[in-house]
Amino acid sequence: MKEKKPKNVCLDGPIDSMFIGESIARHQTKTDIGAHHIFLGQVRSDEKEGKTVKAIEYSAYDEMAETEFHKLREAAFDRFDLSCMHIYHSLGVVKAGEICMFVFVSSKHRDQCREACNFVVEQIKANVPIFGKELLGDESHSWKVNQ
Amino acid sequence: MTVKVFFFGYLVDHTGQTEMEVNNISDTDALKDHLLKEFPGLVQSRFAIAVNQELTRENVSLKNGDQVALLPPYAGG
Repeated sequence: MKEKKPKNVCLDGPIDSMFIGESIARHQTKTDIGAHHIFLGQVRSDEKEGKTVKAIEYSAYDEMAETEFHKLREAAFDRFDLSCMHIYHSLGVVKAGEICMFVFVSSKHRDQCREACNFVVEQIKANVPIFGKELLGDESHSWKVNQ
Repeated sequence: MTVKVFFFGYLVDHTGQTEMEVNNISDTDALKDHLLKEFPGLVQSRFAIAVNQELTRENVSLKNGDQVALLPPYAGG
């Protein structure tokens, strides 16, 4: 397993559906791949303190987040038989209904990439220092905490 | 000696700042005591401590130039 360099994971603002589509299209030349598994995280308009979440403003401890993304990526490649993997997470304001996370895992066969994708998503939620300020449409806010 | 302290997420609501410098603090327990006195809102707050980007549950000695982050529960994804 060759060492992989850290990649830039964090993007400013929501993740555009065109970007997701183009990412899928770019894999059409990689004909050793037999299965993709994709997870998209979307901002939900939860009810908080009698108000509705209009958007989440994401922030991160940048250096540590990039390190943790790199570690979980290495762990996934060690643990599963993967062809490639791409992870993107938004920083800044993402409105309800927009995409804030895109995990794209590819493998020869479906079982490995499905399990790897679940592994990566759970690792991100548990180990990457990203924080979500829920904007409630007026001047007030609450803070998202992963379940 | 000086260490740099970073606050994230809802901890910033209690500290009013995202970073500060603290002088002459020997370890993370002493730093925590110092911060809880300076920012009483932190007493009710859940947070983990990372020293130079490594999470630590135990008391860790600090040296000049260390970076300490107070991290509330994560919300990525």
